[in-house]
Amino acid sequence: MKSSLKRTIHFIIKHNTIIIFLLMLVLSALASNAFFTPNNLANLIRQVAPVGIISMGMLLVILTGGIDLSVGSIVAMIGVLCALFTQSMSLPLAIVASLLAGIVVGSISGYLVSVQKMAPFIATLALMTIVRGLGFIFSKGAPVMVADSASALTDFGSGSLLGIPNPAIILFLVFGITAVLLKYNIYGRILIAIGSNEEAVRLSGIKVPVYKFSVYAIIGGLAAISGMIGTARTGVGSPNIGIGLELDVIAAVVIGGTSLMGGKGSALNTFLGVLILGMIGNIMNLMDIASYSQQVIKGLIIILAVLLQRFQEK
Amino acid sequence: MDMLHDQLVNRVELSNISKSFGGVAALKDVTLKALPGEIHALMGENGAGKSTLMKILSGAHQKDGGRIAIDGEEVHIKNTHDSKKLGIGIIYQEFSLVPELSVAENVFLNRLSEHGVWMKWNSLKKEAAELIQSIGFNINPSAKVANLSIAQQQIVEIAKALSEKVKVLILDEPSAVLGPNEVQKLFDILLKLKKEGVTIIYISHHLSEIFQIADRVTVLKDGKSSESLNVAETDRDAIIKLMLGRSLDAMFPPRKPVIGNEVLRVEHIQSDKVKDVSLTVKAGEVLGIAGLVGSGRTEVVRAIFAADKKQKGSVFLHGRKVRLRNPHQAVEKGIGMVPEDRKQQGVILSLSIKQNISLANLAGVTGKLGFIRSNKESAHVQQLIKKLLIKTQHEDIPAGQLSGGNQQKVVLAKWFNRDCHVIIIDEPTRGVDVGAKTEIYNLINELAGRGVAILVISSETAELMGICDRILVMRDGQVHGELEKHEFTEEHILRYAIGADRQPLSTN
Ligand SMILES: Nc1ncnc2c1ncn2[C@@H]1O[C@H](COP(=O)(O)OP(=O)(O)OP(=O)(O)O)[C@@H](O)[C@H]1O
Ligand SMILES: [Mg+2]
Repeated sequence: MKSSLKRTIHFIIKHNTIIIFLLMLVLSALASNAFFTPNNLANLIRQVAPVGIISMGMLLVILTGGIDLSVGSIVAMIGVLCALFTQSMSLPLAIVASLLAGIVVGSISGYLVSVQKMAPFIATLALMTIVRGLGFIFSKGAPVMVADSASALTDFGSGSLLGIPNPAIILFLVFGITAVLLKYNIYGRILIAIGSNEEAVRLSGIKVPVYKFSVYAIIGGLAAISGMIGTARTGVGSPNIGIGLELDVIAAVVIGGTSLMGGKGSALNTFLGVLILGMIGNIMNLMDIASYSQQVIKGLIIILAVLLQRFQEK
Repeated sequence: MDMLHDQLVNRVELSNISKSFGGVAALKDVTLKALPGEIHALMGENGAGKSTLMKILSGAHQKDGGRIAIDGEEVHIKNTHDSKKLGIGIIYQEFSLVPELSVAENVFLNRLSEHGVWMKWNSLKKEAAELIQSIGFNINPSAKVANLSIAQQQIVEIAKALSEKVKVLILDEPSAVLGPNEVQKLFDILLKLKKEGVTIIYISHHLSEIFQIADRVTVLKDGKSSESLNVAETDRDAIIKLMLGRSLDAMFPPRKPVIGNEVLRVEHIQSDKVKDVSLTVKAGEVLGIAGLVGSGRTEVVRAIFAADKKQKGSVFLHGRKVRLRNPHQAVEKGIGMVPEDRKQQGVILSLSIKQNISLANLAGVTGKLGFIRSNKESAHVQQLIKKLLIKTQHEDIPAGQLSGGNQQKVVLAKWFNRDCHVIIIDEPTRGVDVGAKTEIYNLINELAGRGVAILVISSETAELMGICDRILVMRDGQVHGELEKHEFTEEHILRYAIGADRQPLSTN
């Protein structure tokens, strides 16, 4: 009896992310019968897509023991740039240029962290303000409209495939690739190893700086994709969106059981973390609860998730 | 002694202790008794359960069954605090120092809170310096522990354990990271404690140490304990037989070296602690580097491997000059290195045995686009586990769950898994049991037989003499002597190591 109780507790602690997720599903269904409607679910997944896409990059960064605070600013700046680019070049070119711009910003963080050995928190904090400022400079402080010629972009943003919103499809793709990389590819294994014991990895003859650099370049690209999705959905690029987005992304990764010390985390759990965070917002909107309370509850969930992980480590 | 045992009250009595980890028994039925003022040696193969037993006594692990008594009274040790209150001190096999804190802070870590709200830094440093000096060493109390050599770290551990009054002192392989000089000083301390009536439980794989210092010895095998033997009445072979279940004919396998062309040549290398070192290693040759702790041995090989920045000097491979800027380039050029500090630099505790072993040879287990060929990898790793006698249930178990000696074998396996032209091994058998040592020597022989150039550092002079074809002796960052096989004697090596080579061999 006692041991079966022990085993149950052990099970709950071990699978805490999925259990919190299921619990949230049940609570949401009970709280509002509007929750399980196709419309609402499509809405939910569309809403979480930007955070979700970036969270996969953040997972990679955090696995190496780093952090990236600049992603919210990149989303805004790329949103603006993408809209600007549509006014002066063809849409495919605009998309490629925007993506590259995101990767360049990420690469700057990556360079500072891996070559200059700056603390990731500091390097990306600096980039966060620089890039936010650049977004305002490029847009001259006002929202930028997507050119009429680029209507394909806005069509994509509001469209869907087989009932699944397009942004969500991108999210699933990014999630799938990340999951496979982490589980079956040497790249994922090396990131985890670096986060666990960087010196041992270095002395095994692995180019640690290259890998550390790469994760920041990747998250820069993913933030750019999220920025473009934002612009595609609304038809404008505004420099003041995405403020605090980095915190949502980090929260999702942490709720998913990823250790901020690096070396431990999974794509699936991070994905669940994104959905948990999204559901909190979604259900409270359905229930007309003020956004201030949402923030309080979000914070409480983070504390709960981290406490459960603490037990897991024992 | 046995009569004494019947009359006196044992200081420590562990009876019928059992312990399993997730269904796998580490200890089945272990009994160990020790009197006040007794030095009791605990021996056994890697993974026999020595550390586990001691962690139960120190409260780091909980026993599943059995009884513990201190001074004749049953005690229940639920955590490390309980054991401390009972006067039990322990020096763990794996370090428990805080790398970011200073020596003084680490020594008095347990007592920091007793000093009131305001720290008296100066008196703390003074006390730490005095304590370390009183045990015969000299370490700056303000130095950050992370910057100390690992022998120095061990000395800090010892000072820390001695900073409190203990009735029982457990030392889990303290000598593994110390040189012979340091070990002698440690023994002086232990003998002094013994006189004061402290019971000492001493774990080591070095039989010679047991005969030098211990009163009695208990051997663990397959989770069970042997009768405790009086050291004076037993011998090497008897203990080895208890440990391995068989006798060991020769510690060092015979070597018939076939020495080829020069593979590695180092000229006038200089780094922080290396003044000017040149050396060559030929194909099939095993070159040893001897020297006292702090003589710069580790720093030389780290400079060759480009783990540390070297300030001057050049490295030649197969006669061609190579410029190595980082370990990656060294590995690419065919150099491998088993580092000195297993826990910080060698093994990644949270990764599986398999992942650790593959780490130096990822190309060997990946297919297109970096995807891992899982079956191939597992088969490969299983072979190495067998070859190196790594004691484990499965290759997917985290390396952190292995015993210390088995972790060492994982680090060796990692480099044996890669085709290198040069393999540098800094302390090949640190913490490895006698049986597995021979196995490792065999593997080194086998590698040399395949034409690999091997560079070995060891604090065990006997080991160097047993496996090397040539030995360099270092002192103060320079090579002070080079010995060919026929010149190998402990005395020769020591004379060069301590700088007595300038005086005539015999003064009387
Ligand atoms: N935390 C743990 N989780 C699971 N198994 C463990 C753990 N710690 C130890 N073991 C297992 O218990 C057994 C005994 O290990 P222990 O560390 O006590 O051996 P040891 O005698 O000290 O060996 P060594 O000479 O190598 O230090 C080993 O098989 C080891 O794998
Ligand atoms: Mg041990």
